[in-house]
Amino acid sequence: MNAPLYKFGLFGDHVGLLIGFLIGVGFGFFLERAGFGSGNKLARQFYFKDMAVLKVMFSAIVTAMLGVFWLSRVGFMDLSQVYLVPTHLGPQIAGGLMLGAGFVIGGYCPGTSVVAAATGRIDAWIYMVGMFAGMLAVGFFMPGLGDFMASGDLGQTTLSSSWNIPYGLLVAGVVLMAFGAFLAAEWGEVKSGGRTREEQSLLWHRGYSRPRLFVGGAVLLGVGAAAAGTPYRGAELRTSAAELTRIVSREADHIAPRALAERLVEGTQVPRIVDLQLPEEYAAFHLPGAENIPMTDLPAATFTASEPVLLYAADEAQAAQAWVLLKSRGYPAVYTLGGGLAAWKSDVLSPQLPATPVGEALEQARARAALARHFGGQPRGFVDAAAPAVPTPAAVSTLAPGATNAPAAAPKKAKKKEGC
Amino acid sequence: MNEELWTNRNNPGIDPILHVWGWEIPVYLFLGGLVAGLLVLGGYRVMRQAFAPEAATQRAWPFAPMLGIALLSLGMFALFLDLGHKLHAWRMYLTFQVGSPMSWGAWILVLVYPALLAAAVLHPPERVPFGHALLARVKPWSEALQARPRLVLAVGVANMVGGLALGLYTGILLGSLGARPLWNSAILGPLFLTSGLSTAAALMHILSVVSERTGAAGPQGRFADALLAGFFRMLNPQAGGDVMLRADTSFVTLELLLLGLWLIGLGTATAVHKEAAQLVLSGAYAPAFWALVVVTGLVTPLILQAAELSGRIRHTLAPAVLVLVGGFALRWILVSAGQASHF
Amino acid sequence: MSTRPEPQPYMNPYLAGLGIGLMLLAAFVTMGRGLGGSSAFATAAGVTVATAAPDFAAGHAYFGEFVDAHPWSEWLVWEVMGVFLGGLLSGLLANRAHLTVEHGPRFTIAKRLALAFIGGTIMAIGAKLASGCTSGQALTGGSLLNAGSWAFMMSMFAAAYGVAWFLRKQWV
Repeated sequence: MNAPLYKFGLFGDHVGLLIGFLIGVGFGFFLERAGFGSGNKLARQFYFKDMAVLKVMFSAIVTAMLGVFWLSRVGFMDLSQVYLVPTHLGPQIAGGLMLGAGFVIGGYCPGTSVVAAATGRIDAWIYMVGMFAGMLAVGFFMPGLGDFMASGDLGQTTLSSSWNIPYGLLVAGVVLMAFGAFLAAEWGEVKSGGRTREEQSLLWHRGYSRPRLFVGGAVLLGVGAAAAGTPYRGAELRTSAAELTRIVSREADHIAPRALAERLVEGTQVPRIVDLQLPEEYAAFHLPGAENIPMTDLPAATFTASEPVLLYAADEAQAAQAWVLLKSRGYPAVYTLGGGLAAWKSDVLSPQLPATPVGEALEQARARAALARHFGGQPRGFVDAAAPAVPTPAAVSTLAPGATNAPAAAPKKAKKKEGC
Repeated sequence: MNEELWTNRNNPGIDPILHVWGWEIPVYLFLGGLVAGLLVLGGYRVMRQAFAPEAATQRAWPFAPMLGIALLSLGMFALFLDLGHKLHAWRMYLTFQVGSPMSWGAWILVLVYPALLAAAVLHPPERVPFGHALLARVKPWSEALQARPRLVLAVGVANMVGGLALGLYTGILLGSLGARPLWNSAILGPLFLTSGLSTAAALMHILSVVSERTGAAGPQGRFADALLAGFFRMLNPQAGGDVMLRADTSFVTLELLLLGLWLIGLGTATAVHKEAAQLVLSGAYAPAFWALVVVTGLVTPLILQAAELSGRIRHTLAPAVLVLVGGFALRWILVSAGQASHF
Repeated sequence: MSTRPEPQPYMNPYLAGLGIGLMLLAAFVTMGRGLGGSSAFATAAGVTVATAAPDFAAGHAYFGEFVDAHPWSEWLVWEVMGVFLGGLLSGLLANRAHLTVEHGPRFTIAKRLALAFIGGTIMAIGAKLASGCTSGQALTGGSLLNAGSWAFMMSMFAAAYGVAWFLRKQWV
């Protein structure tokens, strides 16, 4: 058997809905058991009187995190198939601030309001009406927030891949942090005059108790996770086809040759450039600053998650395959060179320009001719009366260290191909 | 639309195009079953009083027959809305077809109304929110009736028999529609009857609690207030709700059994019937069936009622409300899923 | 019945958390997704608009996607219905279910209800911005080590503690 069961086709959509209902019953049951059907109980968290929200939340997070980690580690579960909400730091931090404020003002969070309403809290019903009104309001101004909603887009990423810390080590860290928070919370409750019943506590209870066994077991499993390695199966695939399709359809998967050339000249936002060709092809021609990682070596190569990577090969398809590979390994910022090397040559090195442009077109033609010459190319069809633009010293110096033999090799090959 | 799209299926000449039932039929079946349950339970009480006249009447029960009349009329109105030829409805009463459940149903309804009316006259409420003049006029009639134990017994029997017939008929009506494999089961009749009994017991439970609570403040008292507050507050078990609680517990248990039998019956029949059963077991209607009918409408009230009866938790109206929700969901899902099933 | 059963004490928070965590894990194992709370409200609001004013919704950038929506095919709609039933069951079994308004001793009911409405509105907007609420982001994303969810959780606690002092009358 393979989990997630639904994604491996063990049951269909309808049974899935039913399972959702049953899991919801359990979720609601334990939320109420924890006392989360009471706004007073929830709010006392924020006055350090009763740290139940923190204790329950982190117990739940630790339980599910350890469960997912170990079930994946023993091969029962494919963690890459569990949906990760894409990270958009801007709206998520703003939304978090609003939810935090709304929690104290309204007294509930959306899930607990349902439980509170079920147990007769009239304020929770009013809160739910407020939620409904808020959702209507959202509908009216949401379309205007397009840019903000996309800000801080890191895609589907875990703390592990964005900080480049092994997953197991982070699991251990979270468990130990939660353990520390539990102890601090119990200590804080006593200090602030809130009451912790002895049988409910980790600190004040004597001898074995079920909470102590649970927390102790969690700490053991968490520390074990640090040494257990990665929870991901095989090639560490951790992205969904839907997410990749979304990126491709937004054309956020490639950088156009001319845009790359301009970045190289300006020396800003220059990605790590990876040439996927065979070593001899690489020797014959490659982009300035590119490093050679042939396709066969790519699976073993490592990259820094925070650094953008640009992949290119002779044609676009080969680079696209490498792109899928790196995306599926969880690297958030991977791009291909739009149109491959051929487009670089036809667009940057020897662009077809109008023979006698005037006005604005003349300016553009000059700029593109300058760009071509900068990389050692030659525009076609355009003969400028003015002196050829010389790259500024600053631009050259930023290029110099990685430029290797590219400017020398490129024009030769380009000219040969063009046959002019 | 091209002519060649008419295959041998979906052809009105071969597969009759059946009228699609919307909300009206489930509402009618639900209310019909509910009234059937009221008739049976009320008839039983009348009969018991015929043998033991000293048995105390409870405040809620005199309202039951009138409530039955109102709810049945509401259900009939829903049925009427569904009829294709509304002006021809009266033709049902020009004939009696022994082989047609529709005809049976039409005539059962005719017999049920007088039975309910007789029960209403037999035990009129002591006080009513309005219509005092009418109550005064009914009083001599009910005294005359109560003086004749044989007539009281007859009213009780008529109520019980009418209720049983009405409850069974709502299920048999569906079962007689041969083109829908999901309904091809003799168990639907008893199932709908049991469901009707459990919803009626739940309704009477609610009614007894509300009328007990409003009794002190007069029937016109803070009715809506009490309706709201009574939802969760403690109920005096001597108020009669407890009897209905026990009754409801057994009805709901029986209903669970019958539901199981129905599905087992379908599951062990032909491939078409198995496919039909899959519709509610794991198909498009599975979430609603399991979540609303089984979990919300049967299992949860059973758990709550068991805890209430054992005295571990307070009596609340929640299980009764859940039983009513489940009873309606059962009709709705059976009608919708049945129409989706075909040979 | 002379003895009226009293409300039971709440469950130990660590063990209640264990229970919630196991439900969350069950969602991961069966469905490959986490729990949620706010999304059902978004569906309800969207479908309401699309049903009440189909012409307006059809041309609208946000409500347009609800025109052909099937709310009964939404996983979170069923999950939230379950949450309601589960909460009701637990509350009744512990004698904790009764009609009441939760507020501090120094606060009026009317003010409390007004703040509940305002809080709900803010919460809905925030949950939509963050594409998730306490359940969908903090619990679910937290246990998957989702980068954005942890940023969300930290800012949520920060804001709650920041605002708490100003509203102390409502609660304590």
